[in-house]
This record gives sequence, C-alpha cells and structure tokens, in this order.
Amino acid sequence: MAERPVHRVTLRTDHIAGGAAIILGLVVLALSGDLPFGSLSFPGAGLWPKLICALMIVLGVLLCARAGASNPVAQIDWSDLPHAAIVTAATAAAIALYPTLGFIVAIGLLLAGLTLLERRKPLFAVIYGAGISVAVYALFTVLLKSPLERGLIGF
Amino acid sequence: MQGTFDSLLLGFSVAFQPSVLWYAFLGCLVGTLVGVLPGIGPLAGISILLPATFGLDATKAVIMLAGIYYGSQYGGSTTSILMRIPGEASSVMTCIDGYAMAQKGRAGAALCIAAVGSWIAGTFGVLVLTLIAPPLAAFALRFGPPEYTALLVLGLIFLAYMSSTALPRTLLMAAVGLLLGTVGIDNMTGHFRYAFDIPELGDGIGIVPVAVGLFGLGEILSTPSATVLGKVIAPKLRELLPSRTEWRQSAIPIARGSVLGFLVGLTPGSAHIISSFLSYAVERRLSKHPEEFGHGAVAGVAGPESANNAASTGAFVPMLALGLPTGPVTAVLMAALLIHGIPPGPALVNDHPDVFWGFVASMYVGNLMLLALNLPLVGVFVNVLRIPYAYLYPLVIMFCIVGVYVVNSSIVDVWIMLVMGVLGYLLRKFGLDPAPLVLGLVISPIFEMSLRQSLIMSNGNWTIFFTRPIALVLIVIGAALLVWSALAFVRRRRDWRSQLAEVEASE
Repeated sequence: MAERPVHRVTLRTDHIAGGAAIILGLVVLALSGDLPFGSLSFPGAGLWPKLICALMIVLGVLLCARAGASNPVAQIDWSDLPHAAIVTAATAAAIALYPTLGFIVAIGLLLAGLTLLERRKPLFAVIYGAGISVAVYALFTVLLKSPLERGLIGF
Repeated sequence: MQGTFDSLLLGFSVAFQPSVLWYAFLGCLVGTLVGVLPGIGPLAGISILLPATFGLDATKAVIMLAGIYYGSQYGGSTTSILMRIPGEASSVMTCIDGYAMAQKGRAGAALCIAAVGSWIAGTFGVLVLTLIAPPLAAFALRFGPPEYTALLVLGLIFLAYMSSTALPRTLLMAAVGLLLGTVGIDNMTGHFRYAFDIPELGDGIGIVPVAVGLFGLGEILSTPSATVLGKVIAPKLRELLPSRTEWRQSAIPIARGSVLGFLVGLTPGSAHIISSFLSYAVERRLSKHPEEFGHGAVAGVAGPESANNAASTGAFVPMLALGLPTGPVTAVLMAALLIHGIPPGPALVNDHPDVFWGFVASMYVGNLMLLALNLPLVGVFVNVLRIPYAYLYPLVIMFCIVGVYVVNSSIVDVWIMLVMGVLGYLLRKFGLDPAPLVLGLVISPIFEMSLRQSLIMSNGNWTIFFTRPIALVLIVIGAALLVWSALAFVRRRRDWRSQLAEVEASE
C-alpha cells in the first residue's frame, strides 16, 4: 500500500512573530477588563488600548497567513547567543547590585567582568573597570551635576 | 521672504553666541564619533546623552543633540570607506564603492567627496527647511484633532509603505509601540493602565529606556567582539584631494542626492537609511557606466552620502512645523524639547523664535564645523577605530545604564532598558525592525488624545474624518497607499522596497 504524502509545515519567523502578536493582544485584552470602554461620544480609558489589541490580533493573523514569504526559524543564526546571554546576565547583575553597592562598585565590577570575559589580563581588566567607573562618576556628579547612586558603601 | 531673512538673522545672533557655538561643536564632534564607531547609532548616542542636556537651556540642548544626529551621518562614511564596516546604518551603501576606492589607493578622495557631498547636501537641506518650515507651520495651525488623527494614520501607513519589510510587520511593530504608550495614567479620566502597582509606571514608559534598550543594548547583544574585525586603511593628508575627473563625476550625484534625500527625509520612516539606498539605485540606473558600481564608482559614494545628510535635515521639517516625529531620532529630539517645556509644532516659530531660528542657524554653522572636523582630523578618527571592541562595548553598556538612570533616577527605567535590549536582540533575529516601535510609543499619547477629542467633538460620529477637507485628503492618500501596496503584493511585483530588502539582507 502506497504511503500518503506527509505535508510538513515549516515553522517560519512570521509564524512566531504573528503568534506572539496574537497572544500579546489577547493577554492585554484580558488585562483590560476593568478599563471602561465608555461610549463613542465620550470614549473611556479602555477604548484606545482595546483598539490596538484588536489591530495587533488582526496583524498577527495576517502575518501567520502569509508566513510562507519569511525565513524558516531553523535558518536563524544563533551563533551570537552565548555572547548575548553573558552580556544580559552581567548587565542584570549590575542593575540588581546598583542600588545597594552604588555606581562605582557595581559598574566597576561590570566593566572588569566583561573585559575579563574577553580574555584580557586580569590586572588590566580591574584597572580599566575601576578607572572608568571613577572617572564617569566624577563626570556626572561633579561636572554634569547629575547624581548617580552612591550605595551603602558611600560612593 | 524679508521676514524669513530677518528671523534667520535673529537665529544667527543666537547661534554665534560662544556658548551655543561650543555646544554645536560638541554635538558635531560626538556625532562624528558616534558615526565612526560601529555598534553605536545616532539614536543610541542621542538617547545616552539626552540626560546630559538637562542642565542646559532648550536651544543649546536641541542644537547639541541635532549636531549628534547630522554629525553621525558625516562620521558614518569614515568606517565604511576605510574598513568596509558601516559605522551607521545609512552608510551601508558607501561601503561598496567607498571601500573599493580605498583599495585602489583613493581612500582620501572618497573621504573628501563624502564630506563635501555631505556638507553641500546638509546646507541645501537647511536652506530648504528655512524656506518651507515656517509656511508649513502656519498652514498646520488650521489642524484640529480630526486632522491630526488623519495625519497620524497617514504617517503610520506611509511608514509601513516606505519600509523594506512587509507592511504588516512594520504596522505590527508600530502597534506594539502604541500599546506600550498606553501604560500609565490616562490623561482624560485619570485611570491607571497596566501599571501593576509599580509607581514608576504611573508616568508611562519613557522613550529613553526603550530607545537605548532597543538600539544601544540590542546592538551590543547581537555583536560579539569576535565579529568586529577589519583592517583600517589610513589615508595621508596630502591624498585627500580628489582629482578633477573625480570632482566632475561627483557633482551631479551630489546634486541629485541632495534633492532626493531631502524629499525622502520629509516622509516617515528611517529616511536617512532609505534615502542612501534609493540614491545608490538611482545613480546606478542613470550612470553611463553601471558596471563600475561595486568597483569604486565615485557616484556610488557621492550620491548616498549626500542623500543621507539631506534626509537627516529634511526630517526636521515635520518635527518643527507639525510637531510630528517621522522617525525614532526626531522622536527623541522632540522629547528633549518637551522635557525643556517647549512643545514642537506649528506654534514653535511664533512662541519660541529664538529656539526655532537658533536651531536652524546652528545647522548652517554645524555643517561647516563638520566639514572642518571630518577632513583634517580623519587621522584622529581612524585612531579611535583602533580601540579594541572588547573594551568598547562594556563602555557602551555602562553609558546605556547611566544615560537611562539619570533621566528619572529610576532603577525601574534601567530594568525596562534591559528588557528592551533583549527584545531588540530577538526582533533582529526575527527580521523585525524596531524603529516603528519607538515611533509608535512616541505618537501613542498624541494619537489617542486627538482620536478621543475628535469623537467627543462629533458626538461619537466617525464621519468627522470624512467631512473636514484636510482630514479627508489625508485619509484618501492613506487609503491610496494601502491599495497600492495591496496591488503590488497581489501581483508579487518587485519594486524598490524589495530590492532594498535584498541589499539589506546581503549586508
């Protein structure tokens, strides 16, 4: 008995983008329950967001419908993902530490850490991180009069 | 005409004040550096330095920030010609023939043609802006909420039409921006929307964290240091002058690029990028020797470099005259004016003539400064390119954090910037352009307000947009563009936008 041909749908970038738009539109619509729509003669706070959600859902469906023109998801080059993940994690850590440790320590650690990850000499990375963070702190607080977080340590 | 001339004189009296000259110079210098350095675009540069202008008055602030914008268009050509790396997205086309010229030993001539072309186009753009912005602003005083609503609808459709990606993709990005713009207190009723009990979100999501995240951090996340390589060709000062033949070959492309660039600059979208692609295509099509393109054609440098500068000036016309940003850069510049309590728009010319005309006059001076900066100091900028990227990108991340934090001293804004950075990285992976998102975020409050005011004015009658002549014309143009796009889609015709997308993909 001859096997039936199997039609496999290739997952494409527009399927993901369209799907995400539909989900986002539906989620925001669900979150907008308590926002009054008002009337057309006196629109409430909910009219505009709900209109945009509807537009997003329509555009999401359109994207999914004509996704054939976009690239297959499998073809996306993720070779830069390790770099992106490390930089994101390091930046998140610096932001989390920023209010507690203050600008100089948190940002100095971020600069030194990222420079170390780029296989630069440890001593040079530490001097680079400390030097730049102190200089920028002085630039903003003294010259530009824009206070940066001092943190528990005091600077 | 006499009134314009007198006003321009007032502008020059502001622009020639030593302190204003200093900030114009600073903007041009930083802009050139932003253009030279790969990975930092003008938007990230302006956003990061926006907080540094809070202590200045509005005129100095906007002059400095605008200097960064048009300065980056000059600087972007340096890395394109010397390293074949576009320092700025609008310099992508210059890489092709600029680098080919450099390999033939004509790097100096290519840099000189790019700088002179940029100067001519920039000055031409300012001249036309001087003439058309005030009458356009006077006309725009007739606009009420329905006209503004129709204009914003047309702007979004035009943005999608001009984009190299598909219309639904661009509109989707704009819609995400419009949605982000709804976060915070509703100005008309006082309702909190999507603030999730976070007090900092009460004022809404700021443009700076979103723009810096999407364009500054997003760019860094998608650029590992191993990929930033390249040999710098350092031209000598005496090699900077082009030959007589090269001058002749560049004259007409510079003129064409100036006009084309300015016209494209008036339209919504990433005009400075689109104009350089269009100019390159036009020059290749009109050239008697199209086979030279890609192998060091002078017109391939002169046209696009002139076009992107004229476009960056043209983009100021709708911003100053109508109070509407045509792209993310003008959106951030508008935010800078608003922070200083000066709303851009039709009333700007009359209410704040010193700001308007001081800004216009400073661009004449700024273009001269850039010409002086970019030619003799090219050796200095080449040395900047020798800083290893491994040291440079942590520095950019630090400035992203500081730039965002200083605006409101809010750590929540910095977290938003990080989230936007990751979003920007993912959007690039999925081929989605983040620029319409920023534009959507900026226009969302104006759009919502004008729509709701229109409905209140008409007692809920939607036909108000079709019964007022200006609004009707704008709606009809928008509908025609939509039909045109749909026809091109149905016929699967390859127009200039699909060609642009192909070139972008190949770069």
